[in-house]
Amino acid sequence: MTKVLAMILAGGRVDELGSLTLYRPKSAVPFGGMFRIIDFPMSNLMHSGIEKVGILLQYRSSSIITQIGNGSSWDMIGRNRGAFVLPPYKAAGTKTWYMGTADAIYQNLEFIDDFDPELVLVLSGDHIYKMDYTRLIEYHLSKQADLTAAFTKVPMNSAHRFGLAEIDDTDGELGGQVLDYQEKPDRPSSQWASLTIYLFNKSSLLEILQPLGKENRTIEIGKDIIPRMLQKHKVYGYKFNDYWGYARTIDELWRCNMDTLGLNPKINLKKWELRTNLDHRKIRDRIPTLVTSSAHIENAIVPQGCTIEGEVRNSVLFPGVRIEKNASVENSIVMFDSCIGSGSILHNVIIDTDVNIGNDVRIGFDEKMKVTKANPRCTVIGQYSTIPNGTTIGRECRIGYRVDAQKLGKNDIKSGAIIE
Amino acid sequence: MKSVVAMLLAGGRGSRLNILAMLRAKPAVTFGGIYRIIDFTLSNIVNSNIFIAGILTQYKPFSLMKHVGTGVPWDFIGRNRSVKILPPATGMYDYDWYQGTADAIHQNISFIERYDPAYTLVLSGDHIYHMNYNTMIDFHKEKNADVTVAMMKVPLKLATQFGIGIINSDGRLTDWEEKPENPRSDFASMGIYVFNTEYLKNALNQKSGNDFGKDIIPGALKRDRIYAFPFKGYWQDVGTLQSFWDTNMEILDTHSNLRLNDWNVRTNVEEEEMIGDRSPSYISGKAVISNSLISPHCIIEGTVVNSILSPGIRICEGAIVRDSIIMHDCVIEKNSQLDYVIMDKECIAQRSSVIGWGDNLKPNEENPSHLSSGLSVVGKKSIIPAKIRVGRNCIIHPLIETDAYKSEVIECGSTVKNPS
Repeated sequence: MTKVLAMILAGGRVDELGSLTLYRPKSAVPFGGMFRIIDFPMSNLMHSGIEKVGILLQYRSSSIITQIGNGSSWDMIGRNRGAFVLPPYKAAGTKTWYMGTADAIYQNLEFIDDFDPELVLVLSGDHIYKMDYTRLIEYHLSKQADLTAAFTKVPMNSAHRFGLAEIDDTDGELGGQVLDYQEKPDRPSSQWASLTIYLFNKSSLLEILQPLGKENRTIEIGKDIIPRMLQKHKVYGYKFNDYWGYARTIDELWRCNMDTLGLNPKINLKKWELRTNLDHRKIRDRIPTLVTSSAHIENAIVPQGCTIEGEVRNSVLFPGVRIEKNASVENSIVMFDSCIGSGSILHNVIIDTDVNIGNDVRIGFDEKMKVTKANPRCTVIGQYSTIPNGTTIGRECRIGYRVDAQKLGKNDIKSGAIIE
Repeated sequence: MKSVVAMLLAGGRGSRLNILAMLRAKPAVTFGGIYRIIDFTLSNIVNSNIFIAGILTQYKPFSLMKHVGTGVPWDFIGRNRSVKILPPATGMYDYDWYQGTADAIHQNISFIERYDPAYTLVLSGDHIYHMNYNTMIDFHKEKNADVTVAMMKVPLKLATQFGIGIINSDGRLTDWEEKPENPRSDFASMGIYVFNTEYLKNALNQKSGNDFGKDIIPGALKRDRIYAFPFKGYWQDVGTLQSFWDTNMEILDTHSNLRLNDWNVRTNVEEEEMIGDRSPSYISGKAVISNSLISPHCIIEGTVVNSILSPGIRICEGAIVRDSIIMHDCVIEKNSQLDYVIMDKECIAQRSSVIGWGDNLKPNEENPSHLSSGLSVVGKKSIIPAKIRVGRNCIIHPLIETDAYKSEVIECGSTVKNPS
């Protein structure tokens, strides 16, 4: 069997996600009622039988280190198995922080050498999808490619956000040779967007990366490696047609969460057979959820450890959430151990972990602002914030980390307000 | 030297739990949605900072062995920590099965000696309770006792089921009656003993009987210092189907002293060897849930009232579940009804079936003392065929297929078995 080593880039934060990625990288953002985004690539690797992975950290890595633990959550523990977190390091004459995705790989070439794989699978830790990587590997081997990257078709109007490839039609639905590649072009000419899933022959990767890495500048896989590969190497595009969640903005993250709802949801948490670290936030030891006689639940994800006395509609709850009597949560995401006080009404809100919403609070209301599923205009309440009784907060507000009554200043926060 | 070693007697058949304890030992019976009965004792042990435990098994130990595993859910792993399953072993004779509680300890005295503890704690794995054993051990030391028995007041009419103690003003046991017909006191033994280890070894070597409650304790009252530790917290024997149902329902009662939230009970959620983790539950728009405990990985489209649901249950549209306990991975198909039922794991109630039908409270014909309140019980992996009506006080044995049903109506008080 071909030796494959996976490298997950899990260190990035995303400006657009605001306080959600203030104390954690995007890959550690809670998702889908108990998971973290990195559980998706980790579970995909497990299901694909790839049992060795390096996880490259950079931004605020403690939550991702906790999440990976010893790797046993994904069975990546054993003599020939392992999940290794790779923090940036200092060494004589090096540049400490990673300067781009390609540099992150470059600085960990020693790690790759130790395992001496034939193929290096580079993944991003912050996308939501289910993929069998063995098919990508089979395709790569059958084409004797140097690099095979995965692409998905996106609408033309959002294509400029992605690396775009022109793929020939040799293998139809499966994929084809990459004829041209452009990183986030202003005027897109293709709809095939890179999923930032790259399978390299190790030797071809080294050939390009080693001279580049020495240049002491920012180097990216999309911008610098792929164009160079296209010159002399065989680069293939593998077409992926299933669900792929980019979740790079607040509203996208909200929509991806909403895609877990329903009897046949786009993201089928049950069928996808995801694993997470059940020790993180003590998910494992929480008692089943208590639903009282005053509760009303409709179209919701409900994990263990919650107490629900109020109303929950079209929402995703996480372990330890408490919805008190006469509270009403609609089209919202409430993360670990947050409490919604009695009489409070929340529409289109993302509540980070450990938030305390007082009684009779209203969040996400503004008659002048229309909301739709495509444009939910979510308000975000940051980790550990406390919203005092009776406060009103409009739409598209950004209430940051550890905001309290004093920082809030007043009890009527207008739509669009940003309070750090 | 370790000061305390815990010996947990988990071999009991639990025959009054009827078919729930047919395929597994009583301590392995599911309780409170996600737990097994033994979790309460195991958690008490580690919550009392005792980290050496032997579990004595005899009757159908497989579920228990798998459940305890390496002991990692209870933190039994480490240089000075251990949990060991101690099954009966053949010795000099073929009839070396455990003859009673004292005999079981006697046969495993080498396990205790290995750690040379000053005190040996003998426990039962059959009860739902929360106790810090250190309080009892302190009492034992203070009284300079040879043996201390944990005792509590029970309703006098229940006293016939227990070992009953008569104490003097110092708390010393002066007399003992094992399951008396006319109890002289309501002070009942909880089956929890602290022994000075040296005393225990001597007593067992004298071979004065096979059972602590029947032989050893009553025989030593005059000669030795046997004390009763008065326990005032929550303790419940769930040895009958009725007390098992009642105690499960106490979890839903906020005024009850059974407080799972405060007890830090841990369980092993990984024994099931599922590919993915149990994902959060999904509650659809048509569901109605009231006063119920909901475990993860359920899909609920029907009505659930006053019930305890274990993980992985599907309640389909139009189904109604009331006053019931449903264990792992059961399917309640469309328009089926469960009223006052205990359903063991992996059962299917097919479309429009009814369990707990009618108002005839004729006790179960085969086991009138087990089922007389109207409660019906369905054994593991059984099928209730479509449109079948099962009455009250009925028992459906484990592994029943559709062809075992001879009529559309299973009359109240009946038992459905596979032909032997």
